[in-house]
Amino acid sequence: MMPSFLLTSLLALPFAGVLGCLLLHEAWSLRISLGTLALFLFGSVAAMLWLPVAAVDVASMFVLDTLAAPLLPVFALVHLLSHLGTAKTVTSSGYCIRSLLAAGLSALALCCHDEYVLLALLVLTVMLPLWELRERGRSSRTFVVYMSVFCLLLGASLLSGLAERTPLGVGLLLLALMVRGGVFPAHSWMPVLFTSATYGTSLLFVLPLMEILVIVRVLITTIPTWMLDIAGVLCLVSAVYCGGLALVQTQVSRFFAFLCLSQTSLVMFAVMLHTANGVTAALCLWMSAALGLTGLAFSIRALESRFGAMSLSEYHGHYEQVPGLAVLFLITGLACVGFPGTVGFVPMELLFSGSYEKGLWVSGTLALAAMLNGIAILRAYFSLFTGKRQQTSISLSVTGRERAGIVLITLMVFGAAWLTPSVVDSRHRTAEELLGLQPTLHAAR
Amino acid sequence: MGTCMTVLQLLTGLGLTIVGMPVTLLLVFLATFLLQRKLSEVSISRLVQIAVNISLASAVLCAVLMLWRGIAQHPIELGDWVITPYYHLKFEFVLDVLSLSYVLLTLLLCTVIAGFSTRYLHRESGYGRFFVLYAVFLLGMVTAALSDTVETLFAGWELVGLASVLLIAFFHSRPSPPRNGLRVWIIYRTCDVALLLAAILMHEVNGAGDFDHLVGGEAWPDHEDVAVGPHFAVLGVLFVIAAAGKSALLPFSSWLPRAMEGPTPSSAIFYGALSVHLGVFLLLRISPVLDSAPWLSAIVVVLGLASACFAYLAGRVQTDIKSALAFASLTQVGIIIAEIGFGLRYLALLHLLGHACLRTLQFLRAPSMLHDHHQLENAIGTRPRDEELPWEQKLPAPAQLRLYRFALERGYLDALLEKLVAQPVLAMFNTFNRWEQRWALWLDDEQAPPPSKPDELAIVSAMRKQP
Repeated sequence: MMPSFLLTSLLALPFAGVLGCLLLHEAWSLRISLGTLALFLFGSVAAMLWLPVAAVDVASMFVLDTLAAPLLPVFALVHLLSHLGTAKTVTSSGYCIRSLLAAGLSALALCCHDEYVLLALLVLTVMLPLWELRERGRSSRTFVVYMSVFCLLLGASLLSGLAERTPLGVGLLLLALMVRGGVFPAHSWMPVLFTSATYGTSLLFVLPLMEILVIVRVLITTIPTWMLDIAGVLCLVSAVYCGGLALVQTQVSRFFAFLCLSQTSLVMFAVMLHTANGVTAALCLWMSAALGLTGLAFSIRALESRFGAMSLSEYHGHYEQVPGLAVLFLITGLACVGFPGTVGFVPMELLFSGSYEKGLWVSGTLALAAMLNGIAILRAYFSLFTGKRQQTSISLSVTGRERAGIVLITLMVFGAAWLTPSVVDSRHRTAEELLGLQPTLHAAR
Repeated sequence: MGTCMTVLQLLTGLGLTIVGMPVTLLLVFLATFLLQRKLSEVSISRLVQIAVNISLASAVLCAVLMLWRGIAQHPIELGDWVITPYYHLKFEFVLDVLSLSYVLLTLLLCTVIAGFSTRYLHRESGYGRFFVLYAVFLLGMVTAALSDTVETLFAGWELVGLASVLLIAFFHSRPSPPRNGLRVWIIYRTCDVALLLAAILMHEVNGAGDFDHLVGGEAWPDHEDVAVGPHFAVLGVLFVIAAAGKSALLPFSSWLPRAMEGPTPSSAIFYGALSVHLGVFLLLRISPVLDSAPWLSAIVVVLGLASACFAYLAGRVQTDIKSALAFASLTQVGIIIAEIGFGLRYLALLHLLGHACLRTLQFLRAPSMLHDHHQLENAIGTRPRDEELPWEQKLPAPAQLRLYRFALERGYLDALLEKLVAQPVLAMFNTFNRWEQRWALWLDDEQAPPPSKPDELAIVSAMRKQP
């Protein structure tokens, strides 16, 4: 009874924060949202460490299982860092409410075991970027078009017998998820979203990778293998194509969007491998990519809040002014591409290894995507932080909030790498449970 | 029996100290970054000297102990880092003739360079940054040199690559160093793909990334007969590509002169002595794979000799001392590679050690070359004779001219790589990008917003936070 109450409280916490933001004066919104997200992170870590996994459920619908338990703190951290990295001047009450709602909805989705509720939550999350685009007066047509396609495919899937797991039903759901995940050729909405909406909102929509959650919760054991194979090829193409496009971008926001697409495609590809090794890689990569990309976005946002939107076609030379952000950019960027010593190294190795059974050409293509991403990251680093001597009459060094974010991200990028063996071990067991190779703990209980 | 165990435990401890000191050094630098503390030049210098000297002392002790007790090789297992029924990631080091020779060379040269750099970079704004990158490089070199699994080698390999590139871009207030750094990074990453694929293939062939699974458990250079199969041929080719990238062999030689943008100490240690020999080290480590396929050995010989000839020609026409030394270095590396192809392992190792030491000395004296020249003139009382052209003058005039242009343009390698690889790839992605933008504009019916001006309020907010 007590653990269930604690889980309920944890899942309700972001919504309580929303209520607080609505009831209190706007000046309090930032403090309330930051406090709520910090408490949410603390609660998630506590739940992962102390709550008995799979024994806690709320109305038999929301369960803290082996999949959700370690991801909940990662999601909480992503939301907190995203909020910490937003300049005070752009954190309106609406932004705070959206952040809290995004945190609440993603936490609910993560723990949800009812597929219809999960799909409904997936649709609900689409509303948050839309809300911001409307609020900022930016065109939302591209986003609306793609998300309408997603909703239509979702609806068609439900009507085509998703409940009975007919091939048409699951195929349409997979298509819907690929549209939402921005897999080639349905990826064009993401660069537009990152250009039009704030990094925070875009990131919180993309990075929880809800589509992977639905694939592993709903589809993975029932979908025909040939569908996963086709989807896998598309993810592979997406990873290379978007990696290449990240290389030639001149706008930082578009560079980040394509990098994000390439990385998320790699995670989706790992799921599509449909093997214990592949799904283990996906679950590990999910966490490392979320952390790496959040850190990268954090440094870009801090940089753009000082110098405005920047072009990658010239050198800016901001290293001497903000060395902390330069270092953060580099280490999180390298973590994204699986550089040794960072949190991304083992997941990428697992992915490469898992891909070999599909052929050496598949591993080679993955390595090509990682290579393109690595080059794109260093190109952006050199463009933003080197090549010029910039001088300002005022100090632009990082603020206290940014310093806290930098410390947190750096510790996670290097510190979490040491936890890799136990994380991989637990993710492997979860992968086997998800693939039906082992009975789930929840079912056993 | 008990004494033997103690010696083995001591070797393990010393081996871990060799790697542990650069790790500790990096952790200290990381802590100062996180705590926003700035170390003085004296503190940095002392920390670096202490760390490198302890590592060096440990390596010397290891060598003495192994010689004294007649231990040919000693593996140091760090345990299974990741183990699943389908994947096995293990970090393991080995102490043998090859690894200890290379690690001793690395630590010896790094000690010299650390001492040199504290004076050379005195009051340079990037003093701290140089030593952070130096520590990353040192860790990478030591890890790669002692590696007994392909994952350990790959980790060290990547660290060396990153540190090298960031040091090329060290003087980053000008556009040229970062531009050259990026070029080198592109070549490194391209060739690293080969090493990564080799690592994957090794796992599939052997079920693990251990070198002794590949070449047998005997101490280097002895080895058991390697079973030859199609996988081994692919594996050998992948290793040769990776080595060619790191050692600037043909067709990747164009990055070497670009690497001279960095400060002299880094040029000396990285591109003259250590980094450029890492590919040689890799080929020495996997030499049984070369032995198993004569055609692969032949490719290695041809590659080495072709690189040596090319570097000799290009080096003859260089007008700055660092570039001339870089090509001279490449000439020797090419010859060492050819020696490996011929199966002369010990000769190659000795050649590598001697060459690295000589080249470091030459690079370190490079900034004082005019001074040295004057001293030489004073000593002999006249100007030294100009070097004769032994065989070039015997060629017909048009051939001389062509050869001169070829050497001056560095074999047109840069132009060829740019024209045949870089430009088509970039043109393709630029075309895709234009299509993407057109599609987005058509769909959104809105022009992309112009780059905004700096958010002045945010700047003010940042200022308020300053003490």
